[in-house]
Formats: sequence, C-alpha cells, structure tokens
Amino acid sequence: MSASTLARTASVSRVLAWRALILVRRMPAVFIPSLVMPLFILVATSGAFHGISAVPIGTSSYLAFTLPFATIMGAGFAGINAGMTLARDIEGGFVDRLISSPAPRLSLVAGPFTAAAVRSLFTTTVVFAAGWIGQLPLPGVAGTIGVYAMAACFAMATACWSMGVALRARTVQAAPMMQLVVFILVFTSVAYAPRDLQTGWLRTVSDWNPVTRILEFSRSAEFQKMTWAGLWPALVSIAVLMLVFGSFALYGLSRLGND
Amino acid sequence: MSPAVLQTAALARRSIKSTFRFPQAWFPSLFFPLVLMAIFTASFGRSIAFIPGFPKVDGFLSFAVTGAIVQGVLISAVGAGAFFAGDIEGGFFDRLASSPASRSAILLSRLCASVVLAAGQATFFLLIAVIFGATVKGGVVGALIVIVLAALLAVPIGGLGVYLALRTGSAEAVQGTFPLFFALMFFSSTFFPRETMTGWFQIVADINPISHLVEGMRVQIIRGVDWQAAGVSLAIIVGLAILSVGACAISLRRRLEGNA
Repeated sequence: MSASTLARTASVSRVLAWRALILVRRMPAVFIPSLVMPLFILVATSGAFHGISAVPIGTSSYLAFTLPFATIMGAGFAGINAGMTLARDIEGGFVDRLISSPAPRLSLVAGPFTAAAVRSLFTTTVVFAAGWIGQLPLPGVAGTIGVYAMAACFAMATACWSMGVALRARTVQAAPMMQLVVFILVFTSVAYAPRDLQTGWLRTVSDWNPVTRILEFSRSAEFQKMTWAGLWPALVSIAVLMLVFGSFALYGLSRLGND
Repeated sequence: MSPAVLQTAALARRSIKSTFRFPQAWFPSLFFPLVLMAIFTASFGRSIAFIPGFPKVDGFLSFAVTGAIVQGVLISAVGAGAFFAGDIEGGFFDRLASSPASRSAILLSRLCASVVLAAGQATFFLLIAVIFGATVKGGVVGALIVIVLAALLAVPIGGLGVYLALRTGSAEAVQGTFPLFFALMFFSSTFFPRETMTGWFQIVADINPISHLVEGMRVQIIRGVDWQAAGVSLAIIVGLAILSVGACAISLRRRLEGNA
C-alpha cells in the first residue's frame, strides 16, 4: 500500500469513525443498550452474587471483582455496535455507494473499528463512575490505563468479529449471532469466579479462552498488581483475537460486491 | 364438548406446532438457561460451602436448576407473546376475529400452549440437572410440584406477553421487554440466596415476588416436599395471573372493538 493510499484510507476512516460516533445523537436507541448493559451487569452481578466476597477471589469486594467484567462487556457491546452499524449501512445502500466511489475499501471496516475503540472509552468511564459511586477506589494512573486499554483492545477485536458477520449476513437481523459469540467468549472466561475456584469443563474452557487473560490482566490493573507475567499473556490473547477476527472481517470485506 | 373448548384446543395445537417449526422460538429458551446454569454451577460450585448464609445443598446444580426453569419459562413466554404479535402483524388475528371463533379461545389457546410448553421445558431441565448430578430431595412429588408450578407460571408471564402483543401489535416491541423481565430475575433470589445479599439489593430482592416464587419451587428440590412453600408460590402465580390475564382480556376487547 502506497503512502498516498494509506493517507486516503486514514482520512476516509476518520470520517466514517466520526459518522459512527455521531450516530449516538441521531439514533440513541442503538447506543443506549451498550451503556446500560455494562451498568446492569455491574450492579446485578455484584449484588446477586455478593456472597462470593466471602471466598478468596483476590479482593474482599465482589463489586471490585465484577468491575473489569462490566468494562469488558461494555467494550464487547461497543464492538457489536460497530457490526450493527455496518450491517445497517449495507442494508441501507450506503456501503454500495461507498464501494462505487474512489474511497479505499479498507476504510469501510477501519472506520467502525476505530469508533468501537472510542466508544469503549465511554462505556469504561461509565462503569468506573458507577464503581466510584459504589465506593470503589480508583486504581491509580497506570491501573486506569490498563483497564481502559484492555477494554479498547477487546472492543476492536469484537468489532472485527461483528463486522465479519455483518459483511456475510448483510442484514442487521444477524445481530444475535454477533452477540452470542461475544457473550459466550466472556461468560466462559473468569467473568464470575477466578480460575482457582472454577471446576470441571469451565476450568478447561477458561484456561484456553483468550478473554480469560484479558480479564485477569484488567483485574490486576484494577487492583494495582500489574506484572509482566500477567501482561504478556493478555497481549498474546489480544493478538490471537485480532488475528482470527481481523482475518474474518477482511476476508468478508474482500468478497463484498463480488457476488 | 363445546365449540369454544374445541377451538381453544385447535388453536393451542397450532401454537405448539408453530413453536416447534421455528427453532428461533424454542432454541433460546433451552440454550441460554442451560448455559447459564452450567456456567454458574462450574463458577460457584466450589465456593458455596464457605459462604455464610448459603443453604445446605448437595451441589450448586440442585440450587441452580429452579432458576434455569424460571428463566426458560420467561424466555419462551416472551417468545409466545412475540409470536402472537406476529399473528397480529401477519393478519391471522384479524381473520380469526372476523370468523365465528370464540373470543376467549383466541386468548386461552395461547396461554394453554404456553402451559404445555413450560411443563415440557421444566421436565427437560430437571432431567438434565439430575443426569449431571443434581438431587431432588422432594423426590417424584417434589419434582411434580416444581413442574406444575412452572407450567402455571407460564399463564401470568405468557399473559403479559400476549397483553403487550395486543397493545403494541409488534413482535419487536414484545421482544424488547425481555431485558426488563431479565432484570427482575437478577434482582431476586433466582440465582443466589437472599441471605447472602446485603444493603438495598437485599431489600429489593425481599420485596420482589419472583424471589418468593422461586424459593417455593426451589425448596422442593434442595430440602424436600414443602406444601406451605408451594402454596406461597401458587398464591403469587395466581395473583400475577389475575392481573395479566385481566389486562389481556381488556386489551383483547379493545382491539376487537378497534380501539387498539
């Protein structure tokens, strides 16, 4: 890719990302669930399973334990939103118009991809604010950056997955499929309990689930116990998710308009 | 047999058949409760012995199965409401209304179908739980109480779905109410005992009728047959059913009069 193409891709992507972000104002119903659901998860999970605080989970507060789960779910919803926006644009004919224009094709996914990362900053902030209201201490500068970074990376990975689905299904009706995989990935990680407490099949699945390392590092960032031994598995997990879901999205993009 | 009964049976059969014909109608109501039950059991199974206030149970699965049953009834009842709304959107309801079919059959058939499906669903969840190691302390009688209560629970929840369908005439709007029901379940003792909760959350769970409804069913599994607890569950179901079926009947009349 030449420097001028790269610059054009970046420029169009920036416009498309902005367009996806201001959709919040035009269609708040699309964005509100991605703000409400992480809050619901934070409050309902920490309240319902408060009793788990009595067992060794690395903290005496199940609310603190749940916070990274809520930020990651918020990021997942931000990623799903990217896929739904693209699907709606395909259905509405906007993507067809864009393909027939000189705009670089890559910007079709790069725009919503960037928007997902930015949206995750909002959802993470909302979850942090709710945690603060619930009397959770803020995790310091490094810890806060760690939690935000994990959420943003997960949002980008799930955006790739959701856009891959959107590029194949070409309808917003495929939203449940986007959600299902994200939910299963997060719920079968260490969302509700640390690996030491898990039993049977879930322990095996969460050992292999890349979201486990992302969530574990996010928790260690929240508790200000970040280590390199916790960071590199999280980075590898993010790389694996990006590679798999990114290839899925790019292959879908390459086939767009060919049939 | 009166024509109204025959019509109710025929329409209920149609509802049940249409549910099985579309996987999207029955799959979520089986898949999601089972997956959550499996995840919660594997996440919390080791911890419950160390949690003050957690009732003595043979395993978390025995505790969790009631929550899965109620969740399943909830999802399928909302789905039933959405299908009813689909009948309104597709014009089937209007054709039925302009035929000599009994008005009460239109409503009762949908509720009867929900009852039959909920009974089957509860039986299936109990069987799965027992296969994976849950014990039903109440034995066959306890299991039957749970199944009957789950089946009856389909009346108020299904009724609410039908009410929303009659009010909005939109399947999407009915499906959109699911998060509300799901929140009601989380802010109750459906998934974890009230004794382990604290503060405002415990107060909400205490006043949430779903808590008492679920506990009356759960006790049959984790402690043994308890008619008094079953009576409390039944009273809550009957109370909710009077409200939701009454609202349905009023909405049905309004829609038939052309005011909806």
